[in-house]
Amino acid sequence: MEEKLRAVKKAVIEGDMAAARDGVQLALDTGVEAEVILQQGLIPAMAEVGRLFEAGEYYVPEMLVAARAMQSGLALLKPFLVRSNAKPAGKVVIGTVKGDLHDIGKNLVAMMLEGAGFQIKDLGSNVSPERFIEALQEDQVDILGLSALLTTTMTMMRSTITAIEEAGLRDRVKIIVGGAPVTRTYAEEIGADGYAPDASRAVSLAKQLIGQGHI
Amino acid sequence: MKPRERVATALNHEAPDRCPMQASFTPEFAARLREDLKIQGKSVHNPHGGGNTYQLERAVGEDMLLTSVGWANSYYLDDKAYTDEWGVGWEIQPYETRFGAGCYTEIVGHPLASEEAISGYRPPDANRPELYADAEQVIRDFKDEYWIVGVTVTTIFETAWALRGLEQLMADMVLDADLADQVLDFPYRYHLTAAKKLAAMGVDMIWTGDDVGSQNSMLISPAMWRRYFKPRMADFVAEVKAINPDVKIAYHTDGNVFPIIPELIEIGIDVLNPIQPASMNPAEVKKRFGDDLCFWGTVDEQRTLPFGSPASVRTEVIERLETIGRNGGLILAPTHHVQLDTPLENFWAMVDTILNTSYASIGSNF
Repeated sequence: MEEKLRAVKKAVIEGDMAAARDGVQLALDTGVEAEVILQQGLIPAMAEVGRLFEAGEYYVPEMLVAARAMQSGLALLKPFLVRSNAKPAGKVVIGTVKGDLHDIGKNLVAMMLEGAGFQIKDLGSNVSPERFIEALQEDQVDILGLSALLTTTMTMMRSTITAIEEAGLRDRVKIIVGGAPVTRTYAEEIGADGYAPDASRAVSLAKQLIGQGHI
Repeated sequence: MKPRERVATALNHEAPDRCPMQASFTPEFAARLREDLKIQGKSVHNPHGGGNTYQLERAVGEDMLLTSVGWANSYYLDDKAYTDEWGVGWEIQPYETRFGAGCYTEIVGHPLASEEAISGYRPPDANRPELYADAEQVIRDFKDEYWIVGVTVTTIFETAWALRGLEQLMADMVLDADLADQVLDFPYRYHLTAAKKLAAMGVDMIWTGDDVGSQNSMLISPAMWRRYFKPRMADFVAEVKAINPDVKIAYHTDGNVFPIIPELIEIGIDVLNPIQPASMNPAEVKKRFGDDLCFWGTVDEQRTLPFGSPASVRTEVIERLETIGRNGGLILAPTHHVQLDTPLENFWAMVDTILNTSYASIGSNF
């Protein structure tokens, strides 16, 4: 079993989508539980990708192909995880704020969180405060991630948080923010619970906010 | 000093009378500025320089005038959704600021998103004479007085990511180098042809480059930059300088690109733009590379200009003059087109401080 999980890990770290998919399938076929493949294959692989990114060995392209490989493996696991009622690390709703169509940073954060075992609802880009509120009302959400690339749209983060407060939902969710012009100071100023400068550190932040691990 | 002498002096690593200045604007900020200056007449303003009348630039007191040939001219082409001549689809994205509402044009359609489309793709023709009419006019009308810049930015990477989609292009660059090379060559060849023509026509500087830096680190690894962009840029510089060895080459990239600056110098880049101060400390850039490289930009368009005060803008400009601008080698400019969220007072604080601060008045401390 360990050898099979090692192969899955290696394929994900190298961004080899076909090998990741084949590796996961082989593990499933030989009776390894989906939850085990996730916890001991995909998640440690993405943790290593995060480490390589923070160490300056991986950059966005390498992280992106690794995340895609992870997702292709995860897609095979999902039906089994649902059936076994496996609990995600936490539920995350994420989106780029209204007026802003830039989504690569947000996509990377979503993929890295997914690779850490979080369940992701990605609302896409140009997401209105109302749409975020709707998503918070639909489900018990642990973390809301807001992204913006532009100085002209970054201010929409404040409006979104205010709207969530006014809807009476602010205490039910931790809000994290990120994007090129966003800073820790700005995050504090608008009443967010956290800020991370990149996708890898967003994972540590999310874990810390739901009480797993620390920064 | 004439504006063009001022720029030439600065780019010769000497201190001119005052620091040269350049600024471009989003169409919405340009409209506000025009109203503020009570400028009448033709209202075209392309932030990359295509189709400009240069009324605003000259009224403000800028020293460089930009004229653009290339895919970057596809920004701000229309006020409704459009497809540019490369086949890239654009959408209009409205936004609001405390100074009113504006629109960005955003890339939404990628003609080479599917791999099958790549081998049969024909990019536009860079040899059409009409592409160079604006450049001819600005050289004829203004070269005596101003430093003329031929713009071919979004030279390789950015146009290619519009063609293929950014995520897919980055995946190709990791997984399928041959395919990535094919996509990157379409814009590279186009912009090289344009740059050579502009150099032959007599522009003083070619502005080239692509965003390869992100806010805190490089967007792609230095190794990947060496694989895909360094050889192409080295050829680009060599080919342009073969036409006119006196033409300066300015390289644009946003973000933190510290790891590749020595290699930009090695391949013959003269000027680095825009030095985002939140990503790279301008004083450190000067200290490490100021003997071999000049700089263009450095006035923070992410924080100071939109969210600071006139006093903080003034302080920043003076700090730049005392550090990265010490003994010349600097053209001060906002690190991006000035956006609608910038207060006019902040913009004028920048302009007035640059225009009214002589190098003689700040040199004595150093």
